[in-house]
Amino acid sequence: MNAVGPALALAAALAGAGSVAGLVTPPRWRAAAVGACTTGVGAAGLAAGVAALGGTRWSAALPGLLPLAGVQLAVDALSGLFMAVAGGVIAAVGVYGIGYARPTGHGGHLVAGAAGPAHGVLSRGAQAVLPLFAVTLLLVPAASSVSTFLLLWELMALTSLLLVCAEHRERASVREAGTWYAVMTHLGLVLLLAGLALYAARAGGETFAALRAGAGAMSPAARGTVFVLTATAFASKAGMVPLHAWLPRAHPEAPSHVSALMSAAMVNLGAYGIIRVGFDLLGGGPRWWWLLVLAAGALSAVYGILQAAMASDLKRLLAYSTSENLGLVLVGVGAAGLFAAAGNQALAALALTAAMLHVINHSAFKALLFCAAGSVLRATGLRDLDALGGLRARMPATAGLFAVGALGAVALPPGNGFVSEWLLLQSLIHGLAVPGTLAAVVLPVAVAAIALSAGLAAAVFVKALGVGFFALPRSPRAAGAVEAPPAMLAGMGLLAACCVALALVPGTLADGLTHATAAAGLRGSGTALTENGLQVRLARIPALLSPLWVAVALAAGVLAVSALTGVVARRRRRRQARLWDCGGGAPTARMAYTATSFAEPLQRVFDDVLAPEQDVDVTPVRESAYLVERVRFQRRIPDRIEHRVYRPVLDALTGVGTLARRLATGSVHRYLGYGFFGLVTLLVALAMAQ
Amino acid sequence: MNTGIYGQLLDLAAGIFLLAAVLTLWRRDLAAIVRIFAAQGMALAAIALLLGLHEHRWDLVAVAAGIAVLRVGVLPHLMRRALAAGAAAGGETRETQPLVNVAASLLTAAALTLLAYAAARPLVRLAPSPATRALPVGIAVVLIGFFTLVTRRRALSQVVGFLLLDNGITATAFLATSGVPLIVELGVSFDLLLAVLVLQILTTRMRVAFGGTDIDDLRELHD
Repeated sequence: MNAVGPALALAAALAGAGSVAGLVTPPRWRAAAVGACTTGVGAAGLAAGVAALGGTRWSAALPGLLPLAGVQLAVDALSGLFMAVAGGVIAAVGVYGIGYARPTGHGGHLVAGAAGPAHGVLSRGAQAVLPLFAVTLLLVPAASSVSTFLLLWELMALTSLLLVCAEHRERASVREAGTWYAVMTHLGLVLLLAGLALYAARAGGETFAALRAGAGAMSPAARGTVFVLTATAFASKAGMVPLHAWLPRAHPEAPSHVSALMSAAMVNLGAYGIIRVGFDLLGGGPRWWWLLVLAAGALSAVYGILQAAMASDLKRLLAYSTSENLGLVLVGVGAAGLFAAAGNQALAALALTAAMLHVINHSAFKALLFCAAGSVLRATGLRDLDALGGLRARMPATAGLFAVGALGAVALPPGNGFVSEWLLLQSLIHGLAVPGTLAAVVLPVAVAAIALSAGLAAAVFVKALGVGFFALPRSPRAAGAVEAPPAMLAGMGLLAACCVALALVPGTLADGLTHATAAAGLRGSGTALTENGLQVRLARIPALLSPLWVAVALAAGVLAVSALTGVVARRRRRRQARLWDCGGGAPTARMAYTATSFAEPLQRVFDDVLAPEQDVDVTPVRESAYLVERVRFQRRIPDRIEHRVYRPVLDALTGVGTLARRLATGSVHRYLGYGFFGLVTLLVALAMAQ
Repeated sequence: MNTGIYGQLLDLAAGIFLLAAVLTLWRRDLAAIVRIFAAQGMALAAIALLLGLHEHRWDLVAVAAGIAVLRVGVLPHLMRRALAAGAAAGGETRETQPLVNVAASLLTAAALTLLAYAAARPLVRLAPSPATRALPVGIAVVLIGFFTLVTRRRALSQVVGFLLLDNGITATAFLATSGVPLIVELGVSFDLLLAVLVLQILTTRMRVAFGGTDIDDLRELHD
């Protein structure tokens, strides 16, 4: 029996119920009701996705649901993969959201929900939109016609925009972030609309089946135009440089469970779109397409993690890290396209498998990290790492869960990110077998970019964990933090369990990933991974990884070292004494590393890339210029691409707007004259054209 | 009705219709402009009546009667009342300083009529008949009405310009489609009456607030 259809119907029904519940239930029960429905939506989506990954196909046409075009849905293994990822994240985040949105009595930034009119995250609007956002995340991969896809895509953008703006009354920066997000996502929609409309017109049909059938007969120029337009739109959704400007604004300002959904489920759909259009519908393409994708991915990976290394806002750091990880995914997608264009299907399947596995891994650890950051934010009201610290003692469970997520993000064993990055590197290194100078130049550069980003990621997450959670608290609010409520810990626990499972037994996903790569159109490639107990074995390439044994060996090593030091230390007599402190007294929080000081050496290394702006302001005492009353030092590291690319465009638009105001002087005659002049010009043009 | 006489009568009515529009540009006395407007309403009613008689459609005759009542009776009456109220309050009864002077206005009206004939050629070619051959007149009156709106300062002249525009649209609709349905014409007429009432109230308020009805005094209201 086909389980996909009923599961999706159940998800849609639960989303409707959750939305109504968000509108009608009183504030006290609202978060619980909406959270339960959202979890149900996620679980149903996970079930549908897993069924589709098993090789089940499902399709439905609902011609009556929308005027003109109707709704066309189809699920294959590729859709199933993204659906399952989104479903898993939604289910965990739904549980987390129950605790996150519940009003607190103390210290948190959510006090507004406890008394008076409930704004922000507990507000009726935000709670009603959350299940709808969740269900669009599940349904976008299921769309199988251009109109259905665009409709769901836009619904996803609009619902997420509303959720980003949920706390707009509390902070002005939320409004700015909302504006950026709205403009960027709609520019993306315009490109997508143009690209897909052109495609549908040339292919002679708007269902994906018609697009697939018509792709072969299109001219190379038309195919290239369609790919560039749609890939640009999808890359902007995935946060690729230089279209990433919305991401480090919108993700930090959204409520944390929404950030988790956006960062772990929504941006994935950018990668899904490129795979779906590039591989499945257009059936692959020439090298330059994939070279563009690969270059954008590599650039974003390095630039994103570099900005993350400089960020001292915890959620901004995580947002830039999302840009990095999606960059790695696109490196895999681009490499797969290059290999497929060169005719090496086995390598292409391997690279695409690595990219998809990284999508899964990134979703697991990034959702966990955003949830943990939300837990910190809820407990302290702070996102600034410079003002945090000392949370390990106060929030041990959150600190442990953040550590699990950070381990996944640094791409070192035994974290889950390691497995997919290892696969990606394997595919790129073996890709040198592909003939041609292009491969010989591009692939080593891509390997270097991945290695650099992995190294920087280690520094970034050591900073996030070490500066944020260890040492002494650097502000009273951090000192007053308390552990998150059980619902939040349960949601994060689910995600952490996923991370651990992905890290230890990734081989269980081999079948699903094989189905997904086959559905993406790399047919006849066979399997890229073989499932062999607890190992990951590559089918065509002699390479083998046993993550479980790596983890066991590491654990054994750590145990052995600690046991050894214990034994060695016990032989000596112990004497309790204060550390020699150079006469400085007991260490205070001011002596600890802050996020800024930790990042300072890196900032010096990448000085030319980052171009920091610093300002030293010396105020002398009034009587003498040689005595200093006050020195003020300020340093900002602006997003350089944003500075160079966006600022001139925005300034030009502002200039045009100011000039346009001169047209509106207030004279009614002049306004009427504009209309009259326009009409007469039109008629003259018509008369001349005859 | 004899086709030849029908064609000549229709041309005559259309001619009067256009001439009235041009005359509103020529005269400066607001009371005279209102009289010319009433004459134009009569010509419009005649066009509708001729079409109705020619095609033996009695609903069109009823529409013609309605047009006559509204545009010859009610609207001019309302405008005269506004004018009388203005004169009693010491307001102006002449369009003293149009933005474009009378001679230039008349030349422009001629140019606009030419333009209307040039632009309507493909429409006439679609189905040549006496009614469609008169169609450019409707378009010319639309343009002249719009021109009046752009160049005349007094609020009452603005109302006349607006009504000229509407007369032109109605005439175009009649001539192009051989008569609009009764219900559509009823709706349009009702809208028109409301618009004139609103404009009349606006004129009164303006006179109270600014002591005149020069709409350029509204300039400071923009943001």
